[in-house]
Formats: sequence, structure tokens, C-alpha cells
Amino acid sequence: MAVSANLLAVPVAAPLLAAAFILLFARWGGRRRIRQQIALTSLALCLNLAAAAILFQATAGRGERFVLQLGDWSAPFGITFYGDGLSATLLLLTAIVALAVYPFAVATIDYHRARMGFHPLYLFLLMGVNGAFLSGDLFNLYVFFEVLLMASFVLLTIGAQPAQTNSGIRYVVLNLLASTIFLVAAGVAYGTLGTLNMAQIAERLPVASPAVQTVFAGLLLVSFGSKAPSLPLFFWLPSSYHTPPPAVTALFGGLLTKVGIYTLFRSFTLFFPELLVSWQPVLLTISGATMLVGALGALAQPGIRRVLSFHIISHVGFMLMGLAVAQSGNRLAVGFGLGAAVIYLCHHMIIKTALIMAGGAVELHMGSDRLVSIGGLVTRQPLLAFLFFMSAISLAGVPPFSGFVSKLSLLQITLDTRHWVVSGVSLFASLLTMINMMRLWRESFWGEYNRPSRVPVRILQSRIRQRLMLTPVAVLVLLSLALGIWGGPAITLSMRVAQQALDRQAYIEAVSPSSRISTADADLHLISSGTYLLVSPVAKSGTAAHAPPISRGSVR
Amino acid sequence: MPELYLRLLNRILTPVLLLLALYLLFRGHNLPGGGFIAGLMAAAAFQLQILSRGHRSVRSTVGPYLHSGIGLGLAVAICAGFVGLLEGTFFKGIWFSLHLPFLGDLKLGTPVIFDLGVFLVVASVTTSYLLGLSRVSDTASLRLDETVSRIRYDSAGSNPAEASVEPGPRAES
Repeated sequence: MAVSANLLAVPVAAPLLAAAFILLFARWGGRRRIRQQIALTSLALCLNLAAAAILFQATAGRGERFVLQLGDWSAPFGITFYGDGLSATLLLLTAIVALAVYPFAVATIDYHRARMGFHPLYLFLLMGVNGAFLSGDLFNLYVFFEVLLMASFVLLTIGAQPAQTNSGIRYVVLNLLASTIFLVAAGVAYGTLGTLNMAQIAERLPVASPAVQTVFAGLLLVSFGSKAPSLPLFFWLPSSYHTPPPAVTALFGGLLTKVGIYTLFRSFTLFFPELLVSWQPVLLTISGATMLVGALGALAQPGIRRVLSFHIISHVGFMLMGLAVAQSGNRLAVGFGLGAAVIYLCHHMIIKTALIMAGGAVELHMGSDRLVSIGGLVTRQPLLAFLFFMSAISLAGVPPFSGFVSKLSLLQITLDTRHWVVSGVSLFASLLTMINMMRLWRESFWGEYNRPSRVPVRILQSRIRQRLMLTPVAVLVLLSLALGIWGGPAITLSMRVAQQALDRQAYIEAVSPSSRISTADADLHLISSGTYLLVSPVAKSGTAAHAPPISRGSVR
Repeated sequence: MPELYLRLLNRILTPVLLLLALYLLFRGHNLPGGGFIAGLMAAAAFQLQILSRGHRSVRSTVGPYLHSGIGLGLAVAICAGFVGLLEGTFFKGIWFSLHLPFLGDLKLGTPVIFDLGVFLVVASVTTSYLLGLSRVSDTASLRLDETVSRIRYDSAGSNPAEASVEPGPRAES
């Protein structure tokens, strides 16, 4: 059965429509209304998951690509949605994470916060994330970034505790700064290349001057790197992720930083694959330092969620390492690094969400997440202890789980390409992760039962709520286990995804199919005569959308 | 209490502004205008109401419908996109013309419906901002009165109890 490209609209339209209906009837409040909101939100999440699964099956499974030109306005003029294996993988993982966190959120978000619009905000956040994965246009990417940031600002400060407001300010300021840099990069692209469509940028960038390429790549690296967050600009994450309700942290930890990673993957493979080679030392340094700083920073943290948020940073370093070696192949394949990074991304999204939810359950039970004051939960909550332990060893990379497969494949590619230092650093960071996870588990579950808060536990004593909280954790742990056991097929799939992402020619053809690919001879001729036209002021003027025909064959 | 001329102007200007908003909304497909501008214009009419009648009375009349307006606008805009699926593509514009007895033909289409949704969203969001801002300015002026009458605080924000609520992230370790 052929899958229509209109399916690409579902991950954006379904959450938006559900949120619109919730807002439409939000005036008449009350607990019954909240229950209806929950039902509507779950429906939208399930629809989203179904659409994402179909897309994933068609793209990663059968190697198709989907382009949706909204309203049939062709590429540089209309809004372009593009879905290939990389987008579909992230959409699927996002749908799984959003659906898994939702029962936890329903069980733990109080009535007051639900009245303030938690459920529609959840959907708006999902819509922004999905849109960013699908967007085929730099400006729409920026718009969807803003949508998800707006939703996350409110989700971060919902309930308006003083600590939340404090962390919210840092989060807002640093993220707006990164967005501004991204906007400047988009301005540079429009001013020099005359387009914001990603396919056209990819087409015109190779013939632009090296200065433009360097500035554009640098601005994108800084802005996406700070959203990811990689080393120099990661401060907003550990200073804000421990303050909102645990469900919000789980959602953010699972989804938000991955948008930055995805855009890094997409922009580097599509716009400047040659920079992946020439900037490789820089990228490897950033990734190694990010891994190390994240893991070392986690050692010094006093609370569960702070340790986990530092580990998010450390894992971003692993994924960047995969990106940095994406263009250098080994005896298995060119692009093995990107495939390994994709599978690492899947592993990270699944297990990090599970771990933050398990940590949140501990925190809600204890009334505090400070490791020195809690302990001994294993006798009261054996199932929670078991699940926490499983996800902790999966995060650290112990064999039957997905962490082992993903770390092993990353290690293999870095060793094959003889990057000894960074592979050593990654091994050391994994060791530190193991130490940290064991520390977390020992401090919170072993020893004397010690509960610092005097407020009685209500959440974990209600059986339904406990089930709502622990079932998603168990499902995610099982998913991680499945990803580890069927590691072979998973690697094959992610290799196909990586090859698809690295094939820029196919992207350009898919988005603007009207253009013809010139032959190699005409190609050289066009470059020699067309280069000066592109960088000349003629191309910068308002007629730039009708810029002279640029050869498509020049794109390697 | 608002000035007399403001109350008089309000009676004349509010219908004019709302009609102008509708005019901008419907001419907006090919000419300058459209849902966003029209929504801002409608919000300007509500701002005039707030200035002349006070934000309390405006809040009690339109306040409850603002959230619903946002939701309705979003839903209408998205549904206009779904109509395009009839011709194969999401958000494809579908046009049909309506014959009116005296005014001639009126061309309607899904872009107009989409603009209507945008109009609703912008008008409701902006009005809710304006209501919120006027409440904030009201509280601020109340505080200013307090400060002038009994000189105890230097300014509204300098209450020392509010200043240091949250210790730094490392302070609790």
C-alpha cells in the first residue's frame, strides 16, 4: 500500500487539533472536564504514534522519502515538510516517549496544574518537536523551535514555585540567545544564497564562497550545539531540569535536547558534509569534552535529577562523536558512525526517559531527591528498585540492553578510524556513568529506610497511580532490552537511515523534482560560469529566488 | 473614571473598528490585510473598551470566551487544511463562488476560512494580553498610591523578603 505524503501532516496537525479542542471547552472547568482532556490528549498521542509507525515502516523499512508541499505550492515558495528515515526514526521515538510519559504525568500532575493547561501544553510541545523533525525549511524550523520553546517555558514554570521561576529565567534567556544565533544564521543564508529552503541551500552552498560556508556552519554549530547541549553552552540544562514536576523533566529529557541533535545531524549531513572531514578535530574535541564534563559533573551532584541531567550532556557527547566520524567509513560501511549515533539516540531517548521517570517516582515517594538524606527504598518498593536498576545498567551499557549495542558500535567506528583519544575518553565516560548509576541506586535504595519529608506519601500508595507510574517505565525498559537483543536488525535499519540521510542528492531531487540533473560535462561548465553569479550582488537582490540555474551534479 | 470624550469616542469608534477589521479580513487574500492584521484591529477595539469602561467590565463580558476563541480559531484553521485533502494535498486551496443578490459574486475558499481562524486566534490572544497588562498596570498604580501616601517602601519591588527566595543551585548541597 502506498503511503500518502499527507501523512506527514498528522504528527503536527493531530496534537494541534486536540489542543484546540481542549482550549475550546476549557472554560467549563472541573475534574470531569480534566478527565475528558486526558482522553482527548491520549487519543492524539495514539494517532501520532500510529502515523509515526507507518512513516517509519515506509522510510526506514522500504527506503522511501516523503515530501509534502503544503497547499501544492512548490518548494521555495510554500511550506515544505520532508520525511526520510532520520526524521521518521525521531518521530517514532518521540511518539513512544510522549505516550510513555503521559500516564506518569496523569498520575503525578495535580489538579491545580492541570487547570492551568498542562494537557494542551503537552500537545503543543509535541507539535513543536514533530514539526522541527519534519521541516524542510530553515525558517519553519525556527518557527517550530519557538513553538516548542514557548510550550517548554510554560511547562517549566507551571505551578510557579520560586525555584521554578528562577530556573525558568536562565532557561529562557539562554535558549532565546541560541534562537537568536540561529536566526542570524538563517539571515546569512538568505542574504548570501537567496533561499531558506534546505534543499536549495544544500544545492547552492557548495558554490558559495568558503567564508560564507564557514560562517554559516559556525553559527549553526553554536546555536544547535547550545540547544543540544554540547560543551561550551550547556549551562541552561543542569540549572533548570531539576525544578519542574518529574513528569515534565522526563518529557524534556526525552525530547527537547534531541531536537538540537537532530538539527545538527541534518544540517551537517545535508549542507556541509565536507566540513565533517575538515572540522573533524573540532567536533571530536567538543564531543570528548562534553562526554567528560557531563560525566564528571554528574559525580559532584547531590540529587537524582541533577545527576541525570548532567548525564544527558554526557550522552550528547557520544552522539556528536558519531556525527564527527559520519563521513569516514570503516570496513563495514561509510556512514557507520552516523548509524551508530542514530541507534545511540534511540537508546538514549528510551532509557533516559525511563530513568528520569523512575527517579521521579523515588523523589515523589521520598519527598526529596537529595541523595544524602534518602535511602532504603528497596524494601518498600521492590518493583521500582528493580526497574531503576535495569534502566541504570542499560544507561551504563551492560550487555543485554541497548546501551551495549550502541556504545559498542560507536567504539568500533572510532577505533577503526584510529581516533584513539576520543574512544578512550568515551570508555572512561562510560565507566563514570556506571559509577554514577551505582551511586544513585545505592544511595536511594540500599541502607536504612530514611524518608526526610514529614508529608505523608499519597502518590505511591494509591495502587492505580503506582501502576500508571511504573508501567511506562517497565515498557521502556523492555523496549531497551528488545533493542539490545535484536541489535543486528536494529543496526541494519539504522545504517539504512544513515545512508539515506547522507544522500544529499536524493534529498534535493525529492524536494524539487522539477529540476533536471545535468550531466557531468555541463556541470563543470556551469560551475565555472555560474560561480561569480552566485556570489555577485545580483544574486543577493530581491530576484534571488530566480537565481541562475545551478548545476545539481556539483553536489556530491 | 474615564474621560467623557473617551466614552463618546468609544460609542462611535468601536463599531467602526470592528467593521474595518472585517473588511481587512475579507480583502486580505490578494490585497494588504488578512487574518493577522484584522485580529490586531479587533483587539484595538477591545483596548478602546478597556480604556473607556475599565478592564473589570470588559473582563466580565468577553473574558470567559477568550480561551474558547483561541481554541475555536486553531480548530477552524486546521480544519480548513483538512478540506484541502479533498483535492489531494493538505492545505490545498479550494475555491467556490457565492452569488449574492445585490453585491455580485463573492469568491470564498479555504484560505478565507483559514484567515478567519487566524483572526480569531490573534484577536483572542491579543485581547487577553491587553486585559492582563491593564490588570498589572492597575495593581502598579495602586501600589504607587500606597507608596505616596505612606512612605515605607522605596519602590514596589524592593521588599527584602521577596528578593532572595531561592538560594543558588549549590547552596543546598
